[in-house]
Amino acid sequence: MAEQKQQIEEFVPQEYAAGFITDIEADSLPAGLSEDIVRQISQIKGEPEFLLEWRLQAYRHWLTLETPEWAHVHYPEINYQDISYYSAPKKKTDGPKSLDEVDPELLRTYEKLGVPLDERARLAGVAVDAVFDSVSVANTFQDKLAEQGILFMPFSKAVHEHPELIKQYLGSVVPYKDNYYAALNSAVFSDGSFVYIPKGVRCPMELSTYFRINAANTGQFERTLIIADDDSYVSYLEGCTAPMRDENQLHAAVVELVAMDRAQIKYSTVQNWYPGDENGKGGIYNFVTKRAACRGESSKVSWTQVETGSAITWKYPSVVLQGDNSVGEFYSVAVTNNMQQADTGTKMIHLGKNTSSTIISKGVSAGRSQNAYRGLVRVGPNADNARNYTECDSLLMGDKSAAHTFPYIEVKNPTAKVEHEASTSKISEDQLFYCKQRGLDLEDAVSMIVNGFCKQVIRELPMEFAVEAQNLLGLSLEGSVG
Amino acid sequence: MKQLSELATPFASVAEALIAAEGTAPWLKKRRQDALTQFNMFSLPAKKEEDWKYTSLWDFSQQIFNHHTESVEIAADEVDSVALLHDAYRVVIVDGVFSEELSDIDALQSGLCITALSESVDQLEHSLGQQTELTKVGLNALNTMLMSEGVVISVDSAIEIEKTIEIIVINTGNTANLATHLRHKIELETGAKATVIEHYVGLTQDSYFTDVVTEVNLAERAELTHYKLQQESNNAFHIATLAAHLAQASHWLTNNISLGAKLARNDIHSQLLGEQSHVTMDGLYLVDGEQHVDNHTRIDHAVPNTTSDELYKGVLDGNSHAVFNGKVMVHKDAQKTDANQSNRNLLLSRGCEIDSKPEMEIYADDVKCGHGSAIGQLDEDQLFFLRARGLDEVSARSLLTYAFAVDVLTRIPNHTIREALAKVVEQRLPKTGEKE
Repeated sequence: MAEQKQQIEEFVPQEYAAGFITDIEADSLPAGLSEDIVRQISQIKGEPEFLLEWRLQAYRHWLTLETPEWAHVHYPEINYQDISYYSAPKKKTDGPKSLDEVDPELLRTYEKLGVPLDERARLAGVAVDAVFDSVSVANTFQDKLAEQGILFMPFSKAVHEHPELIKQYLGSVVPYKDNYYAALNSAVFSDGSFVYIPKGVRCPMELSTYFRINAANTGQFERTLIIADDDSYVSYLEGCTAPMRDENQLHAAVVELVAMDRAQIKYSTVQNWYPGDENGKGGIYNFVTKRAACRGESSKVSWTQVETGSAITWKYPSVVLQGDNSVGEFYSVAVTNNMQQADTGTKMIHLGKNTSSTIISKGVSAGRSQNAYRGLVRVGPNADNARNYTECDSLLMGDKSAAHTFPYIEVKNPTAKVEHEASTSKISEDQLFYCKQRGLDLEDAVSMIVNGFCKQVIRELPMEFAVEAQNLLGLSLEGSVG
Repeated sequence: MKQLSELATPFASVAEALIAAEGTAPWLKKRRQDALTQFNMFSLPAKKEEDWKYTSLWDFSQQIFNHHTESVEIAADEVDSVALLHDAYRVVIVDGVFSEELSDIDALQSGLCITALSESVDQLEHSLGQQTELTKVGLNALNTMLMSEGVVISVDSAIEIEKTIEIIVINTGNTANLATHLRHKIELETGAKATVIEHYVGLTQDSYFTDVVTEVNLAERAELTHYKLQQESNNAFHIATLAAHLAQASHWLTNNISLGAKLARNDIHSQLLGEQSHVTMDGLYLVDGEQHVDNHTRIDHAVPNTTSDELYKGVLDGNSHAVFNGKVMVHKDAQKTDANQSNRNLLLSRGCEIDSKPEMEIYADDVKCGHGSAIGQLDEDQLFFLRARGLDEVSARSLLTYAFAVDVLTRIPNHTIREALAKVVEQRLPKTGEKE
């Protein structure tokens, strides 16, 4: 118990205030949600008429919806009138002035994760200009991308510079009517990222790298839209391995991906938001709608996620396989500890012919946490020769944790081949004994076994994040065995 | 609203009449009354209910069923011809009425007691309804408020019943749109062993409704082998619940074969309440035409050291629709649970639909649980192998389909029963190859 407590303390330093830096100059709106608030958000951002109209439609639709309750998670009712839907970023002066002022426990965590020195300061919330000028770094990247015609910019900027693209694609994958949180997001989304890869272009860098340096946070209701035109390729990473504290309780993001003919999108997520304390107090509610449309033939979308944070995770990155021969992939590691709850999985909707999908889901639950896989594989009547392979494994650590599997398989085509396999097990005494006998201490042994369990997923991550993700797994589970 | 409340059949008023009837024991009156109140509250589930996501009772709710049996006439040799076994204790229910002359329960082995529910219901005050608490509420209330017949079987401790008990439930078609509400109760005392077959047969292709709830209670070390063979008319509605409590070291083997009915829904629930108890839950469904079959199974591992093994297979042809939902629940502290579940489906034609949902909820860590679900077609290589050896396309397909289906029967310990069931399955298999 003492060990566990120690882990919490190092993991969640209380003194560390939210330290995100963004450059938007705006005041906070008062708490509450109404048409006026939606109009004000749109006004602050100087949005064109069509977007305001869309937001209002979403808001009106949201009013007619009820909070979904089907997920295997429990939390007190959220009062949507208590939330401020547009808040100004923290003033730079609020943060610590240099790394010396940052909680040493937090620094130790960064060290364990192997976060580069420069970034540590930034992540810890040290004022940007005190560390280094990231803008210039960002600009070099920006130029390189622009050379190839790649658009990568904040959503709010894209609205002004490329309204035709926004108009065409916004809500085309996740319509505002999709679900409760998607409707809410559509009404009040603050910002996010916009990516457009032109025909035949292979994006020369992981957009992730840039993303982490320049825009660690895009707010509570972020909206990402990625369009990969014919024959293009892009790899995108969101989130960060480092523990981030955030005062916003509810995060309802929407991510839309569109892959045209022969285009490929690889989307990786590492999420390590504040999970709440050991008694389940506080923590982020992460209610996210992520969906990709494989519109073109032979297109491919691959989701990879490592989820270790948030008090509640409620997220199902999906792929709609519309184009013939399109491919969908989902690789997921979800780790829950203490009182965390995760209900996560994917949906693979096969509509085109010869479409295939792979689902690899690894759940690790420790402490008193609840970890559920919920997935849907649907093969429509015209999706001839559709193929799906699903594997979802759970690892249980400690007799108070729980692991669940809720796979839905719906097949309406006799040429479909669908396989689903799931298993549940614990780290055996034999495995631990073997490792310890060879000189590993308990923590390292557990970390090694968990990493082996998750290897299939970790290796799908871009190289530099794979290393950090491995360390993260060990860190998240510290003190949960023994 | 998550329920269908507009019902064409006035089930509630039929129940009111039953409650008002003279000669009913006060406790049973109360039981029916409570069930009626519950039924009025919950009625029939609509598709919005998670457990009814893929099965609609709309068509069922629009049927007008008759609760008055007009005639129970049936020739004795007709019963013989439908019976699965010839050397068995036979209990026959015709159109919802127990038939003493057609049954063969006069010379029972000592320690075995078989009675009709209509004759023995008065003694069941404390045992009826003990096992069904966790299954579908509205429909079980419907059964409780209207149950009129059934079979009550009890075996004394340490007695092994050698002969199989076959319950034959026949619909003759003499009464149009007949609704029968049956309640069976099987009780095995400490160390008792028995084999029971529930066999449902429709003699016509008429529409009717069979509603059945079977409760099984196994004491320590008791062993029950249980089969259910459902061969209702292709226009019939068959809604069944089968629920069992297993005490320490008891064993339950159940095999549920669904061949008939327009709409068949089975809720099978096993609660492993004693250590070392084990359940084998197998099933096979062969559907064709416009048939719809829905099997919902649930296994509760409530204590440590229990095991379960489940295999459900389905063959779908025509425009049929099959649903499988298997839930394995490992409760807190139910350590050393070993649970295995598998659902396999063979799709033979365009137009059929399968919805499979194998679920696990696990609240203990030292467990070994796995499940799998697969959906596919006949293997082209295997077909080629058989064709190369001279079998024509149709025979080769039939043979492979048979091999796929009959797999479920291999775990049946009794040779005679296995052969008899294999024969029934063989006759029911589609005879033609796939029409592309």
